[in-house]
Amino acid sequence: MPASSDPAAAIEERVVLPVALHARPAGALVRAVAGLDAQVELRFGDRAADARGVLGVLGLGASAGATVVIRASGPAAAEAARVAVEVLSTAE
Amino acid sequence: MHDGAPGPEPVGIVLVSHSESLVRGLRELLLQVGGPGVAVAVAGGTEDGRLGTSYARIADAITSVDQGSGVVVLADLGSAVLTARTVLADRGSRPGTSEERAVALVDAPLVEGAVAAAVIAATGADLATVRAAAEEARHARKL
Repeated sequence: MPASSDPAAAIEERVVLPVALHARPAGALVRAVAGLDAQVELRFGDRAADARGVLGVLGLGASAGATVVIRASGPAAAEAARVAVEVLSTAE
Repeated sequence: MHDGAPGPEPVGIVLVSHSESLVRGLRELLLQVGGPGVAVAVAGGTEDGRLGTSYARIADAITSVDQGSGVVVLADLGSAVLTARTVLADRGSRPGTSEERAVALVDAPLVEGAVAAAVIAATGADLATVRAAAEEARHARKL
């Protein structure tokens, strides 16, 4: 559990992928969160990947129609979650 | 001592392979995954268009993407690695050369290393960060 003085609680969002999480959206996701002061994790089924590493994201093997869970924490958690949701939900 | 701040241009990426068509295709993939801002040059095949490696093609590729922020080189196997090492050795580490002009041959699988490098380079990361991202490709699981 985060300390009571921790202002940055984790934010979780779910996205149903419109297309498979292939090279283009995976790259777009990593680039979108790269400059943000936040930790972003993607989960698909029982697999998890750090959204800062494109190979891990690709390795999730998330297909079209799959539900992925975005978990963002840190000072920019809200923005990181927002951009991650936007990138993944508009992927093509 | 270089402070690690990235130059205004992205770290360049050079793809070395026995096959020109292989790296041309990989370059297209890098542009898709990293966006149009990536600087990628290919050195595939011999100068007369056959399978093999070319010192000149590698050297020219490095020069073409060396925009002052450094270059990472990825190679498929065998003589591609050997020839790339020779090119880098001939460039040498001249005294007074700043880190931005460094060229690093990365010990990583060609495709995975290049994809990881392209995405990170597109974010404006410095040479050390791009190199580290490419090297992590050695451990990436795909299944």
